[in-house]
Amino acid sequence: MSTAAVSASRKDAKKPKRRSDAAAGWGFLSPWIIGFLLFSGFPILFSFYLSLTKWNLLGKPQFVGLQNYVDLMSGDSELGKTLLVTFVFTIINVGVSILFSLILAMLLNSKVRFKGLFQFFYYVPTIMPSVVMAGCMTLMFNPQLGIVNYVLKLIGVTNPPNWTGSNSLVWVVVAYASVFTFATGQQMLVFSAALKDVPTELYEAASLDGANGWQKFCHVTIPGIAPMMLFNVVSCTVNSFNGAFTLLYPLTGGGPGDATKVLGLLIYDKAFKSFNMGQASALAVVLFIIVAIIGALQFKLMDRK
Amino acid sequence: MFKAPKWFTVLQYVVMIIVALFMFFPIYWIFCNSLKTLTGISAFPPQLFPSNPQWSNYATVLSNPSTLLYLRNTLILCIGNTIGTLLSSSIVAYPLARMHFKGRSVIFAIIIATMMVPTATLVIPQYLLFRAFGMLDSFWPLILPAFFAQPYNVFLFRQFFVSIPESIDEAAMLDGCNRWQAFWRVIVPLGKPIFITVGIMSASFWWNELFTPLIFIDSDNLKPLTVGALTSFQLAGGGNQTNWPLQMAFSMLMIIPPAILYIFCSKYITEGIKTSGMKD
Repeated sequence: MSTAAVSASRKDAKKPKRRSDAAAGWGFLSPWIIGFLLFSGFPILFSFYLSLTKWNLLGKPQFVGLQNYVDLMSGDSELGKTLLVTFVFTIINVGVSILFSLILAMLLNSKVRFKGLFQFFYYVPTIMPSVVMAGCMTLMFNPQLGIVNYVLKLIGVTNPPNWTGSNSLVWVVVAYASVFTFATGQQMLVFSAALKDVPTELYEAASLDGANGWQKFCHVTIPGIAPMMLFNVVSCTVNSFNGAFTLLYPLTGGGPGDATKVLGLLIYDKAFKSFNMGQASALAVVLFIIVAIIGALQFKLMDRK
Repeated sequence: MFKAPKWFTVLQYVVMIIVALFMFFPIYWIFCNSLKTLTGISAFPPQLFPSNPQWSNYATVLSNPSTLLYLRNTLILCIGNTIGTLLSSSIVAYPLARMHFKGRSVIFAIIIATMMVPTATLVIPQYLLFRAFGMLDSFWPLILPAFFAQPYNVFLFRQFFVSIPESIDEAAMLDGCNRWQAFWRVIVPLGKPIFITVGIMSASFWWNELFTPLIFIDSDNLKPLTVGALTSFQLAGGGNQTNWPLQMAFSMLMIIPPAILYIFCSKYITEGIKTSGMKD
């Protein structure tokens, strides 16, 4: 604050009119400055510090250097395992969200009546609370009484699987659940707006050249929305790091075993179940670095436009 | 534009209806199971249309005192956070959209950067901070941060304020308003759409929020609906058994408010998403 005041007053000498702007500007910004220092700036730095200590919330944190990082990477390498799980989750979650939102947006963009009604049916399922959605998925994929296994039996599968009990099939449930996440609905609306901006003349010209629907999709639609699609994929990825906990905690709880224990869930377990603040903070720092790298990529993409 | 053949139009409708059924099925399934009995839910094959709808499940859920308590807590969180973020984020966004002073672009860059910091990175130090303040197991850790501007909402407000012609506040200031008055009397009324959009987004976020209440709230009488939905339908004595019909009735009740909000405010929701989705 003080340096800002100094620089503002130095400016005053030359341009007296600007004075009110600088003073008022920092005044308006003050809630954010306090909030930033208390709730983001300090926490980020403190996470770095805590990651170098051993602490169970009792007594004082004990400085141990890089020991937490070494522990996380040695032996059966918890970090490696959770990073792999996080990677798989992100690919599935973002892939399904983007694919479905694009399909839904294209359907909504076709020339039909009752568009508002269709949009209601496409959008509302994506805003149901994740705990609600998870409860419904658990019921649908229940091995004994779920409707999914009932349908499988109807079409002749004699021994339908225990979805949430299998290390690999649990990802099918996660993929299905990813359709009904907030991100899908949001991206649907974004794509829907973008598709309206693709000039209709391009489609007409393509029709005149004898292009079929698929060719028009590949050569007109996709190039038309490509810049935004790239941007959306990146922001969806960042969101999926935040959304992972909310989706997975009620759905799988990280299970079976640790099969779906993403970074966010592991941090929660380490910090608030086993009170291992040092290791939890080390994981938090890793998460921060990953998101920072993706964020930097996003800035690059924004710059290029 | 070329005229689509009739079979194509029919096909379009068929596909759209199939997709609508696919998307809406989970909600239908919640509704359907909320009307079954406990034994009805374990019937195999599952009934697609409950033969003997148990509307009393809804009465049971609604007459449970803890449901109302959870609802009260969720409403406190929704209202507190929405008021907090509307006030603080709009105030912070104003100079970023309008005023010219040194450091503005740096501040804006920091705000954009903090938009992406994952909650899980911040939550441990925040927990320790609120522990030091003696505020654990209360609503403070959940509501207080909203009063200090949230980067994403600041960004949305800023984008909207930039689109208001600058001549409007200049005229107000020629009439003798200072910056603060120009903001309150001119920009806030003109910014009504973005206030509604951010308000809806904040309220729906807190209607769904699970992570932070799980960390900061311990007492049962302070839990919001999301945490309540996870814990309050375990059958007594039965290991990991859930009272599914009641949980589904509870779930159905949790879906209705966001759906109604969408019906009445879809215009604002789509506008907000378009502002946030792209562009500088």
